Amino acid sequence: MSRSSYLQADTIALHSGYQPESDHGSRAVPIYQTTSYVFDDVSEASSLFNVEQGGHIYSRITNPTVAVLEQRIAALEGGSGAICTASGMSALYVTFTTLCSAGDHIVSSAQIYGSTATLLRHTLKRFGIDCTFVAINDQDAVKAAIQENTKMVFCESIGNPGLEVADLDAICVTAHDAGVPVVIDATFSTPSLNRPIEHGVNVVVHSATKWMGGHGVAVGGVIVDGGNFDWQKSSRFPELTEPYAPFHGMKFWEEFGPSALAMKMRAESMRDLGAAMSPHNAFLILQGIETLSLRMKQHVANAHELMHWLLEQENVSWVNHPDLETNETNDVAKRLFPKGAGSMVCFGVEGGRAAGAAFIDALQLGSNLANVGDSRTLVLHPGSTTHSRLSPEQMVAAGISEDMIRVSVGIESIKDIKADFANGLRSAKRAAEAS
Amino acid sequence: MELQVNGIRTYAATGGKEFDVALPTVLFIHGSGMDHRAWALQTRWFAFHGYSVLAPDFPGHSLSDGEALTSIEEMGVWLSDFLAAAGVEKAHVVGHSQGFLSALELANNHPEKLLSLTGIGTAAAIPVNPALIETAEIAPAKAADMMLQWGFGPGAQYGVSAVPGMQPIAIGRQIMSNNPLGVDLKACANYTAGADIAEKLDIPSCLILAGKDKMTPLRAGKALASAMNAQVTVFPEHGHMLPVEAPKQSLQALRSFISSL
Repeated sequence: MSRSSYLQADTIALHSGYQPESDHGSRAVPIYQTTSYVFDDVSEASSLFNVEQGGHIYSRITNPTVAVLEQRIAALEGGSGAICTASGMSALYVTFTTLCSAGDHIVSSAQIYGSTATLLRHTLKRFGIDCTFVAINDQDAVKAAIQENTKMVFCESIGNPGLEVADLDAICVTAHDAGVPVVIDATFSTPSLNRPIEHGVNVVVHSATKWMGGHGVAVGGVIVDGGNFDWQKSSRFPELTEPYAPFHGMKFWEEFGPSALAMKMRAESMRDLGAAMSPHNAFLILQGIETLSLRMKQHVANAHELMHWLLEQENVSWVNHPDLETNETNDVAKRLFPKGAGSMVCFGVEGGRAAGAAFIDALQLGSNLANVGDSRTLVLHPGSTTHSRLSPEQMVAAGISEDMIRVSVGIESIKDIKADFANGLRSAKRAAEAS
Repeated sequence: MELQVNGIRTYAATGGKEFDVALPTVLFIHGSGMDHRAWALQTRWFAFHGYSVLAPDFPGHSLSDGEALTSIEEMGVWLSDFLAAAGVEKAHVVGHSQGFLSALELANNHPEKLLSLTGIGTAAAIPVNPALIETAEIAPAKAADMMLQWGFGPGAQYGVSAVPGMQPIAIGRQIMSNNPLGVDLKACANYTAGADIAEKLDIPSCLILAGKDKMTPLRAGKALASAMNAQVTVFPEHGHMLPVEAPKQSLQALRSFISSL
């Protein structure tokens, strides 16, 4: 059961947001591959444009297939509503620019995905939005970083690729005491392993491209409005509490209350920025979500077995996963992730960068690519790719070392994954001996 | 807009347009634990089609100050004071569930103030299980869950929404959990005058009812309609939360009734 539905999560994943439609009885969610929708008459068209009634106008803003995915993910997370976007990065961009204007400020965890760090550090700065990066579990640092113009505390549920688990309960207390909402990128955890809104988080963002889809065939993002932040009381958000000229001075908080943020994103960002998810991608991600909880169990089981196996290998210098006692946030992981803290494993190979490269190049089953959350096992050297834009100091703050290999553990037979990695480690050893 | 009612700051939604007392007014009254947002998809249409709209939050609810009123009779008196504070002499009055009971009281006290009376998802009496009242007093979110599980029809329980991407159950839960739900439910449970008042009324009236309403069952709504000689519209596949789960259909029924007068 979530705050949005009285069905169990496994049932929500298969049914929420759609009941077989009356005309044809399609059991599967139909793909509404259409740009636009015929109005009954001019009066109805006018009503839709003036938000006098709900409904579809143009697929940049809403689409019936995409809406099913939005309602399903909102129900899984327990949110008041959701907005799907073209990618996880556009979901973040929409979130940041809906809540922030020029002159505003964000407090962010330093341990985040490289492109998100670049967006916060460079791109948003061009538009007058500043960011202070902090160690997110240091609540004194978070509190000290919050300014009068701070609009959110941002973090990832499990930092990429440092695998630091954000202590959501503590972060929410700090942020909410200051009248600031908490926004989280929960891509690495999915609602199958943790529901951030239950810990007080106000906005949950996912790259649905990853574990939600699982198949690696569709790029997409989603923003879930927790509906649990009083934008009026905070007094930091005139964007939501003051009149909005394009809709006859509508005040989103007064009009929509718990869904004010989602409605504002729909009305403004989807209209103006146009980062819409295609209906076909929504359909593909829906297929993935149907088996999300089954896959996550296998992802976590394989990750646990692989990390323990890696610890026993002679040329593996270190292994990191939040469920290992050596991870600094292991206690937080035990509290927030009773079913396991995801399927990302990082490790170092003796012999430095050359040995790491030899390991990756020798893999047959594991794919060397810039993605995570695929059902297949994926590997990457973050220092050369996703986080290559960071300075050495920023790399350390982000929890990245030169020898780090990031593994998104898939759901293949663990026996075959281990055999592939054993072959990779032999190659790494040879490379280390040769250098 | 905000106005003072008996010295208490009171919020009333006006459908996105400035309130104009010169236009015919439609007064929307929310149900137990809810607020003006229950009417988000009806008020705006009326406000942009020749009417003035008032959808107040009762005292102690959401954006209004003050203490919650403890009886339906008090709510009826307060509605009269509210209309006076807004400068409205006559209005089309629309109530959902408990909101309709308080509208009955208003009609009983001041029939001259009503141009018409519409009830949505309602009955002459709304008995409430004492266990639910007790739960609402100590754990409002749990009571809201119990009500929403009963209040929304099968489509909404499966996450179907009239507004793309939204989850009405979560929205309702958030509002009800933060409002004095227990006080409202007790007021509902104690109110017994509805049937007698309904029978005596001589006001154009309409009831919009739901076939899968578990809180004010259809047969109770139809009995009320018969006593009031009211026009009836039934949506067979929806539940008690009609203004939210079937907003377009509810609006259509409301529009045709009010515009026919």
